[in-house]
Amino acid sequence: MVAANEARVNVTWKGQNGDLPDTVSRDANDGDVRQWVTEAVRGGGVPGIAADARADFTDFVIDRFTANDARPYNLIQVRPKVPFGA
Amino acid sequence: MVGVGALGSHVVQLLRNERATLRVIDFDKVEQKNVASQFHGKPGVGKPKVLALKQAMQFLFARDLETIPHRLAADNAKELLGAGDLVIDCLDNGASRRILQDFVRTAGIACVHGALAADGGFGRVVWDEAFAIDDEQAGGAATCDDGAHLPFVAIASAYLARAAQEFLATGRKIGFEINPGGAIRA
Repeated sequence: MVAANEARVNVTWKGQNGDLPDTVSRDANDGDVRQWVTEAVRGGGVPGIAADARADFTDFVIDRFTANDARPYNLIQVRPKVPFGA
Repeated sequence: MVGVGALGSHVVQLLRNERATLRVIDFDKVEQKNVASQFHGKPGVGKPKVLALKQAMQFLFARDLETIPHRLAADNAKELLGAGDLVIDCLDNGASRRILQDFVRTAGIACVHGALAADGGFGRVVWDEAFAIDDEQAGGAATCDDGAHLPFVAIASAYLARAAQEFLATGRKIGFEINPGGAIRA
């Protein structure tokens, strides 16, 4: 159960995806979120993502989604940029 | 459909059973390297992508396309997109996406965006209401041209086509966040 003032953090890194084991404040700033996911991925702390000592999320996008009926918890998503289509 | 390269060319062939008129817009020509990652074959090399795709779709599926071999620009957006019920964005750069987004928002036309990360590790299918444009990284980034990401491009294309199909059938807008290991409904 994720409290209303907290958020789950989902990370995509090199085609792998997982959630941080712990929730964070829904108001956590981008810098803190980047630092937490960097430390977690480098240390192998994200289930579903292999430890990568060179993980770097500097250019990644941080999206924030408010809880809704389909997903009853706040979500912070850390993902690579997606500039390509054609 | 704006942009018929890696993502767009596959989406077009996946929408071949739809009753809708499919208009494809792209100014680019098929290059040899595109054959590795796009739904363009060797017979199309050197031809405008929209023409090559039209010929392939006719030959393989007897499916016709409307073709516009021009670059989308602010001063032709209304002419190229204005009659559409749905715009599918498969462009490859932020500047063109911005022109497209400005137009569909002004005109009130439904639009779904397909977008891939450079490393083939993530893709998104996002309706315009929730779409924020990601610009290319400074200094350029790797593209899909070597074909290494073809299966993932095809997967992402299928989700984009599925979103378009659902909208055409029911008007519902569904989006997806796509990883190589699977996809979730956004």
